[in-house]
Amino acid sequence: MQIRLFYPFIKKFAPFAVTAIIVFLLYKYYGALKYTSDNLAEFFRLNYEHFFLVIISMATAGTVGVGLGTIMTRKGFERFGSAIMAIVNVWQSIPSLGVIALAYGFLPLIGLSGIGVIPALIALFFHAVAPIVRNTYAGIKDVSNDVIESATGMGMTPNQILFRIEIPNALPVIMGGIRTSTAIIVGSAPLAFLIGGGGLGFWIFTGIALMDMGILIAGAVPVAVIAMLFDALLSRLEKIIVSKGIQIKEYQTA
Amino acid sequence: MGIMLSLQEVTKIYPGAEHIKAVDNLSFDLEEGEICTMVGPSGCGKILIDDQNVNRLDTIGLLRSIGYVIQNIGLFPNMTIAENIATIPKLKGWDHDRIAEKVESLLEIVNLPPNEFMDRYPRELSGGQQQRIGVARGMAADPPIMLMDEPFGAIDPINREHLQDEFLKIQAKVKKAIVFVTHNIDEAIKMGDKICLLKDGKLVQFATPEELLTEPVNGFFRDFVGGDRTLKRLNLLKIKAAMKPDPPVIMQNESSEKAKSMFRELKLDHLIVVDNEKRLVGYVDQEALRMASPRYSPMSLAIL
Repeated sequence: MQIRLFYPFIKKFAPFAVTAIIVFLLYKYYGALKYTSDNLAEFFRLNYEHFFLVIISMATAGTVGVGLGTIMTRKGFERFGSAIMAIVNVWQSIPSLGVIALAYGFLPLIGLSGIGVIPALIALFFHAVAPIVRNTYAGIKDVSNDVIESATGMGMTPNQILFRIEIPNALPVIMGGIRTSTAIIVGSAPLAFLIGGGGLGFWIFTGIALMDMGILIAGAVPVAVIAMLFDALLSRLEKIIVSKGIQIKEYQTA
Repeated sequence: MGIMLSLQEVTKIYPGAEHIKAVDNLSFDLEEGEICTMVGPSGCGKILIDDQNVNRLDTIGLLRSIGYVIQNIGLFPNMTIAENIATIPKLKGWDHDRIAEKVESLLEIVNLPPNEFMDRYPRELSGGQQQRIGVARGMAADPPIMLMDEPFGAIDPINREHLQDEFLKIQAKVKKAIVFVTHNIDEAIKMGDKICLLKDGKLVQFATPEELLTEPVNGFFRDFVGGDRTLKRLNLLKIKAAMKPDPPVIMQNESSEKAKSMFRELKLDHLIVVDNEKRLVGYVDQEALRMASPRYSPMSLAIL
């Protein structure tokens, strides 16, 4: 039975195929397809802006988040650890819209504009950094004491232990934080439109304002696609950079 | 056989507990190829001696010249077996070929085929195999001294015995000076050439296992070892030491009367039987002699 060979592929891709078909029908039914093709140049510009927002805020949040999370585990900074974690946890419970509103409201107080791409980036950055800090801190703290003890006993310096032992072993958890953050950011980025940050939020909020499902869907579906794209890329990246010795064995579908 | 490790009046006092000396004025020497087991009840200071060693050698380089094996092994899960073993050689900047060669020879020493194990990860190995990798990793940079902190503590008794035997075989090949920390007196006696018995950070006795069992310096050791001290000593005693070199023998073609008289005179119930060239052919005891003699044969009894 030749077809049996394709079962794994069918199983893997069936959900995507079904989703794609439904989305396509919605697209067509509500006229989103027509709207997009009529405004192709704008479509590409908005996508570009959206990618820009996501990539810049992710890159900064990733760097700062991993850095901060790591520093919190270092000797001498431990006592700040729990305090920062408490702040981070509270911070994370603020909804996306709230963060955008805070950026809009507070930035003028320190002499910056509350409107435009920069405030949007700042807001997204603050929104994304929390899970990364938290996961980095927890991931490094979770590395087994025995492992650290034997590394110390063997004569590795603290830096060698950090880069060769602690971070590699914490990577799956850190990557988990980065993936969570990316999903949050891609989903929150449309809100940037509200403070003049651009992006696909333009079509979504226009659609809502005009009660036009077509325009709304023309903006919302690319956002979802971008989210899936980033997640797929990051999971591929994770497979490459995380050692096979600590990767969680994938559930076998075949 | 030079002295490899010399502890001289080592004292350790923890900050915040100045009135307690965790380790108090400890001195001993250890020679090449010797295993010194440190043993004592929990909290007697033996682990602290570990710290002590490690902290006193304040340069990383010196630390790297001591092979270190801990109770819970602590293999690096993100590295393959080969990478785990190669950690210290790599930090020391050995070249690639030398490292590869060393890894292979070490895996052979600990009886794990290199081809099969080199590229596997720690989680794919059993506890015993991991422990052997831990020992191999400790020996990777050819340290003259090894420090083993309850290396077999977390392993079940059957496997532990096996690993102890394996380790003694390995030691016979590599001949390191080893400080072996344990709280198990049996292990201390089995593994140690010298035993360092500690109590409250003080050295109670530093002696060979034999001496420790025959002439314990005070009651503490008796309590610590428990009532079966003699038994433990027997465990240690090799037959060679008790053997009499010239046993009473009887030629195989001597008469049974001769055997009987020898039994009576020497108060024996066994005799070793030899042939004309004094080669061992078997043994005879009173019972066998009786059964074999015609007067007591079951047949004759039946006739009577």
